[in-house]
Amino acid sequence: MKAVVVYKWARNAADAIVRTDGSIDWRNARMAAGEDDPAALAAAKQIAADTDGTVIGLTIGDGDASWALARGVEQAVCVADAPNLADNGATAAVLAAAVRYIGDVDVVVIGDSKQEPGVAVALAGELGWPALVGLHSASMPAGQLQAVRRTVGEQQTLSLSTPAVLGMSAESDADQVPGMKELLAARKRPLTKVTLSDLGTPPVDLVSVGCRKPDSTPSRLFQGEPAQAAAQLVAALRAEGVL
Amino acid sequence: MNTASWVLIASEAWSGALAMVQPLGGAVTAVVVGPRELADEVTASGSGDVLWLEPADGVPAEAYAGTLAAIVAAAAPRVLVSTYDPACRVVLGAASAQLHARLVPNVVGLAWAGDNVLVQRAAVGGATIETLSTDGPVAAIYAGDEVSLPARAPAPVRRLDLAPAEIRILASEPVAVATGLDDAERVVSFGRGVRAKDDVALVRGLAEALDAELACSMPIADDLGWLEKSRYVGRSGNHITPALYMAVGIAGAPQHMEGVRGAKVVAAINSDPDARIFQTADYGIVGDLYEVIPALIAEVHK
Repeated sequence: MKAVVVYKWARNAADAIVRTDGSIDWRNARMAAGEDDPAALAAAKQIAADTDGTVIGLTIGDGDASWALARGVEQAVCVADAPNLADNGATAAVLAAAVRYIGDVDVVVIGDSKQEPGVAVALAGELGWPALVGLHSASMPAGQLQAVRRTVGEQQTLSLSTPAVLGMSAESDADQVPGMKELLAARKRPLTKVTLSDLGTPPVDLVSVGCRKPDSTPSRLFQGEPAQAAAQLVAALRAEGVL
Repeated sequence: MNTASWVLIASEAWSGALAMVQPLGGAVTAVVVGPRELADEVTASGSGDVLWLEPADGVPAEAYAGTLAAIVAAAAPRVLVSTYDPACRVVLGAASAQLHARLVPNVVGLAWAGDNVLVQRAAVGGATIETLSTDGPVAAIYAGDEVSLPARAPAPVRRLDLAPAEIRILASEPVAVATGLDDAERVVSFGRGVRAKDDVALVRGLAEALDAELACSMPIADDLGWLEKSRYVGRSGNHITPALYMAVGIAGAPQHMEGVRGAKVVAAINSDPDARIFQTADYGIVGDLYEVIPALIAEVHK
């Protein structure tokens, strides 16, 4: 079983600066491991372990591609010149082209990002494969691909045929930070760099025509002496009618 | 000009997505995947044609994504909208690829600018609303609030009979929800800012003072076992709608905040002024919870 784990495929929005007029400065926001990437990697490794298979990493853009290589993935492919796109479908088209470039892939596992919730499903659409997203875990016992998802009040175990796309949803910020030994080993593992022209997928995007600040009120923060801050908070909550 | 819109619905949150396409003025078609009651609710909004598919027993909605996508693609709407529901998004992804549509998440508004569609999306975690323009078809994932739709003459429901792909539900088990938490008026919840299991008594004291239920973040229940698992709030745990949610020593990870999206007022206590929870909380105290909680209890009892 050949599993591909897609990682570091979106910019870290926390590093973007929103100016007072609402416009966005993305210059300091590099590609970063998403909050769901560790869950995706764990699922891909589990599927490979269950089938004596392999995991291949796939990343795009200018981020450090060693994230997966330092976490036990033996080889990775990077589409280094893939731009950041507002169109989740265009991002997915680049990833789908890279999956086809890797070839003979049985399962693609990707974080079902809350910030970019269209990429995992569009990737399945581009590949024409069945998909499940919002998953908690995945495995492949007795040759059958299975996934678990939890919704409010219910846990479901599902099976699906391969090839397939699985969108994993992290339940916490858990990530196993690799040690120096793993980081050094990652440098020796093969990383294949491909370009958009290699893949034949020139991305087309929407045009941004403006930004504005949303209509919301910022948090009211109370600081200083605990007794004074507590009095201010309790007064505010009583004024809201919730105490 | 093609002004047709299709809306994908597979769960109870659908009114906002449907309301978003109505001002566009074109013909609206809703695709409902689920029980007949859901299709009837959508029909009662009188929004246009309603196509209804009821998944077979043991088959999830996602199993019909490929065949539904082919139906959507054959109709070639200019705008296709789904809710955030996982099954809806899978159908959207399949249809969007066939339509060669621009797929935009976190969408809160749509409008025309000549022949172009203007798409308003929440960007950078909702810190700004960006307007995007395209002259092609658009697939949008709705991220706005639910709305109240006026009742209109119901549209007829056309039933779809489609063959599913090989996806099956092998097992389905209920996940316990703590008694009293789902309908609590006030909830005090704590996270890793609480340093030791013995200190949970301090937070419990605050909950008692506020006449609130006690809850926690996932690691407290799952990793540390300081509170039963039925009491954790978050993406895979409880989704609650109290009037007041007081988060104590909780960083505010998106996975946690998903569980309290329906809270009326969120208050947070955290020693880190840059904690993520202060981006979404209505009120906050920046301070050491071990000093702030006794002060809060004293203030409430005054």
